[in-house]
Amino acid sequence: MAKTELDIRVVPPREKHPTIFRTFDSLAPGEAFTLVNDHDPAPLRHQFEATRTGVYSWSYEESGPSVWKVRIGKNA
Amino acid sequence: MGLSLSTAAAPELDLEALDIACRDRGLDGVELAAVSASDLDALDARTSMASGARIVALRAEGLSPETAPRLARASGRLGVPLSVPSEALAPSDLSDLAAVFHREGGRLLLAQGCGLEAMAALVAEIQVARVGKPWSQGGDGPLGVAWELRPSSESLEDGSAVLFIARELLGLVRLHGGGPEQHDQDGLGVGGLLADLALSRYQGTIVLTPSRPETLPRWAKWLASRRSAGCGTIAESNRVDLDVRPVEPRDRLETILGTYRSLSRGATMELTVDHDPSCMYYTLEATEAEGSFTFRKVEDGPEVWRAEVTKL
Repeated sequence: MAKTELDIRVVPPREKHPTIFRTFDSLAPGEAFTLVNDHDPAPLRHQFEATRTGVYSWSYEESGPSVWKVRIGKNA
Repeated sequence: MGLSLSTAAAPELDLEALDIACRDRGLDGVELAAVSASDLDALDARTSMASGARIVALRAEGLSPETAPRLARASGRLGVPLSVPSEALAPSDLSDLAAVFHREGGRLLLAQGCGLEAMAALVAEIQVARVGKPWSQGGDGPLGVAWELRPSSESLEDGSAVLFIARELLGLVRLHGGGPEQHDQDGLGVGGLLADLALSRYQGTIVLTPSRPETLPRWAKWLASRRSAGCGTIAESNRVDLDVRPVEPRDRLETILGTYRSLSRGATMELTVDHDPSCMYYTLEATEAEGSFTFRKVEDGPEVWRAEVTKL
């Protein structure tokens, strides 16, 4: 299956998190996407933990120094 | 999906300098823009010496019988597509152009904006030009579509439908903006389209290019300055105003947590940001001791958000 990538670097600040949650919420259970960002999206992870508790997975594919990639999946 | 920069964003920089700036910014590479036929010699020279630079696409504003074969050859040699505005090409020439690009192993992408009817017509023209040709099979033929996104000057309302029509032929996305222009494009719909693009499993490149010449100084500054300083000001001993809007997103968490942690107990930080700061609330919840702060939104968008964070 082709890889789904969301590069959030070009999205204006106030649309970033809504865009990410919209993408996540559109996934079917078992699907995942790779988030590309120019910094560690740690605050986002805390927001996922608080608002999507137990339904998401989070694994770093690349951790800087210029680009961070996180595979975010919806649990089956 | 990779993010790259057009040379149009930095006309003064040579290719090597631009490549270094891109690497510092974590961008994948550059699109070489040849604005006129006289640029072609310079383009030839640049592409042949561009061993270190990562070229991801070529751009021309038009094609002539003289320039088409040379650009097709450059496209084939570099293994990257050439985009040309579709209105600069006559539909009746598409078949011949496709043959030239096919022969040279290159790929020609016809660039089109967010107009639904125009995109539908373009896709139909490409399909007609493919009929009966040896390269008509497979979605990776010598003709494709480049999608021009101009959030500052064009409605993106039909974007999802345009993407749906173009997705099989889509070889490049060109975003007029992003980078230092992000704030100008707040609320214009780029976020939604990027989500659609990701969900359509687009694998290609997104090229950033300035929306208009007046923004060039901002691009130059953006490329030159990797980091920006924090800008907290201590107004009273127990109150800190921290406006992180001018701070690079990657430096914001450190700036906010650093400021919060330097507060004395009972002191308040008024945080000003350009997005909903809920993520900071969740971050403090997760990183600071339970019950050690209060977090109150005092302004809730749509342009500016303010939150008062008090350390208990």
